[in-house]
Amino acid sequence: MSLHTLRPAVRQLRTLRAVRAHSTHGSSASFDPLEVSHFNALASEWWDPHGSSRLLHLMNPLRLQFLSSCLSKHGDATKNMKYLDVGCGGGILAESLARLKGTESVIGVDPTPEVLKIARGHMRQDPALQRRLRYVGATIDTLEKVLAEEGGRELKEGWEGERTMFDVVTTMEVVEHVPHPTRFLKECMQHVRPGGWVVGSTIARTWTSYLTTKLVAEDILGIVPKGTHDWNKYVNANELDSFFRGQDGWGGKHGEDIVFLGCAYIPGLGWKMVPGGEKVGNYFFGIRRNSE
Amino acid sequence: MRPTLSTTTLRRLQLPFTLRRNASTTASNPSIYDVVIVGGGPAGLSLASVLRSSAWTKPLKIALIEGMDLTPAREWKPTPDNFSNRVSSLTPGSVAFLQSTGAWDLVKQERVQSYKGMEVWDGVSGSAISFNTALGSTSDIAYMCENNNLTSGLLSHIESLGGIEIRDKTRVESITNGTDDGTLDLTSWPVVTLSSGEKMAARLLVGADGANSPVRTFAEIETRGWDYGRHGVVATLKLEGTGEGEKTAYQRFLPTGPIAMLPMPGPYATLVWSTTPQHAAALKALAPEDFVAAVNAGFRLSHVDVEYIVSNVTKGVVDEFAWREQNTAVDEKRVPAKAVSVQEKSVANFPLKMRHADSYIAERVALIGDAAHSVHPLAGQGLNQGIGDVRSLAKTVEYAVQHGQDIGAVLSLEPYFEEQYFKNHVLIGVVDKLHKLYGTTSAPVVAVRSLGLDAVNALDGLKKFIMDRAASR
Ligand SMILES: Cc1cc2nc3c(=O)[nH]c(=O)nc-3n(C[C@H](O)[C@H](O)[C@H](O)COP(=O)(O)OP(=O)(O)OC[C@H]3O[C@@H](n4cnc5c(N)ncnc54)[C@H](O)[C@@H]3O)c2cc1C
Repeated sequence: MSLHTLRPAVRQLRTLRAVRAHSTHGSSASFDPLEVSHFNALASEWWDPHGSSRLLHLMNPLRLQFLSSCLSKHGDATKNMKYLDVGCGGGILAESLARLKGTESVIGVDPTPEVLKIARGHMRQDPALQRRLRYVGATIDTLEKVLAEEGGRELKEGWEGERTMFDVVTTMEVVEHVPHPTRFLKECMQHVRPGGWVVGSTIARTWTSYLTTKLVAEDILGIVPKGTHDWNKYVNANELDSFFRGQDGWGGKHGEDIVFLGCAYIPGLGWKMVPGGEKVGNYFFGIRRNSE
Repeated sequence: MRPTLSTTTLRRLQLPFTLRRNASTTASNPSIYDVVIVGGGPAGLSLASVLRSSAWTKPLKIALIEGMDLTPAREWKPTPDNFSNRVSSLTPGSVAFLQSTGAWDLVKQERVQSYKGMEVWDGVSGSAISFNTALGSTSDIAYMCENNNLTSGLLSHIESLGGIEIRDKTRVESITNGTDDGTLDLTSWPVVTLSSGEKMAARLLVGADGANSPVRTFAEIETRGWDYGRHGVVATLKLEGTGEGEKTAYQRFLPTGPIAMLPMPGPYATLVWSTTPQHAAALKALAPEDFVAAVNAGFRLSHVDVEYIVSNVTKGVVDEFAWREQNTAVDEKRVPAKAVSVQEKSVANFPLKMRHADSYIAERVALIGDAAHSVHPLAGQGLNQGIGDVRSLAKTVEYAVQHGQDIGAVLSLEPYFEEQYFKNHVLIGVVDKLHKLYGTTSAPVVAVRSLGLDAVNALDGLKKFIMDRAASR
């Protein structure tokens, strides 16, 4: 790659940093304008089966498998389930959650208007989703306010501090894109009812993940658009683990309800669960809020 | 016990609004289905039956459309001395699958004939290859089953499970894409218009509609292949003897194509003779007793004599055969028992084709059975490939349901295509090459291929491999 091609990107980066410094969203746990503008460029690619989201589509069944393994840990009921999918993007996970047998409702939240437009447009293609799935343009911080404005919830006096509760809050491939992962996760956890789960996926900050996601996937093969990942933001499982263990009322008495599981894309075989792989690359995490 | 309401009744009771809306705007609003299967042949009926017998796919709203009247298949009451001429050989793999869904129990077992031995020989060199269970496998090679028996069993199974909306005597007249009414965007959904005027929008439209598949045309999927310039002549025959004991299938490669005698229950057998259209027409025109003699000639006389009789003798084949047989040495162990009579109206012929669709899937479309591929009948694999398609597609749809995928999305259907296409491609290629290899009298080719057959016969390991492939174990 030549310096020429790099330069405009660097300029754009500087401008955006400046904007962010002055923006009122600057302190938000989950809104990074640079990331948002980048995803706008990807929006149209979300649902093309051979487009840049193909790998995410192929990974989706594993997300559901991981989720159901979490729920079955305590034999938690899977009827009338209410899900919140944070950072839902084009709705790959949100749509599939909404189609599951035991689902009552799914709310997908994402701050990027263009992406939500794609998600809403795609949702209209499936009559089965009409009454079960709803998209909300918000971040996890502004969710409650936007829900109130859109009439999704009735608020009493002094509603701040109250949260709409869900059985499961999912957040896939998001924590590596937010400026403050732990603050972001704490916000997510505030929306989980006792006995419910936060389930997510992310990628470890290791040399392997650098090689596979940045160098190979973005630079060499180009199967993922350049700039999708910021390796410095990757989160390691042991970092998440110690964060989770510090959360009162979560993860069981001895952290037995904190789960990590690695997964990897193996060319020719597709995505596979790889126990122990959380130390190396992509992985799922789950944490259960203790029942009362 | 509380009387249970059928799902259709329930739906009506709960949704008067939908009904009213349908009544006023039928033309623009198709009813919405998860799966619409076009074609009530063995492939389409198997798919409907397996989708209803899995707990995961049972809740899907499914319709099956068939142009012909299914009443004869529903009320099929055959007599023990009469067999249909459309008989397929099912591998143990296919039968095991049909057993797992529960459909096989409803197939009349007394009309199914298994066989454990297979005699195959080269009609030019006399080289033989015999397959039998002495090789160490005690299981059956295949099961001969009338298509009617299978479809009638499948229909009973579907009806006992309930829930499939069957529209028979109803043709698919057109297939278009749906529209966007501002709320629902059905532009990616195929909408089928039936001869009754009914319209159905399909999340997944399955083409089980045979070789000239209208669904395949709608999906703009090309199909490639060629006609063999051969016809298959089929007939139900009665053989000498009582037909008790273990049964064997016989196939002889003649330069014009293979002639096969496949066992049916008792003294009956089914004939599949692949030959030129001229020979096929000549055979069909023969008087019953002459037809029987021609079949006996096909297995017992030299290929030159067979060629002479079928090309030139229109009357008196009985005498012609009797006279030539005296001068021909026949190894009775290798040939089927002589035919004594042919069942009335059972002689029919159909053109043989090799076809393979470029793809089995498109957005919201899947092809199964003959809509996806037709193969030369010499390996008896046509229907088995179709059942393989059904098994694979049903598994794919079930996985998609379990994982909240849209069952009509190409991404959800890919595993079906990947699993079946290559398998079928290899089989079609092998069968096609066998046909060409044995369709010649050229001396060097005959020498090489008989060497081939003899060598295969000597190499039990290889033979077992071929047998296992034939029986898909
Ligand atoms: C004349 C003939 C004889 C054969 N004999 C033998 C044999 O002896 N042994 C053997 O192994 N194989 C034989 N075959 C092949 C075997 O029958 C097929 O492989 C098998 O039937 C394929 O099953 P299928 O369900 O895929 O398709 P089909 O059995 O062809 O079923 C397709 C169905 O779709 C329906 N259909 C098509 N278009 C429409 C429409 N627009 N609207 C509504 N319905 C529609 C048709 O009415 C038909 O019932 C024969 C084939 C033919 C044509």
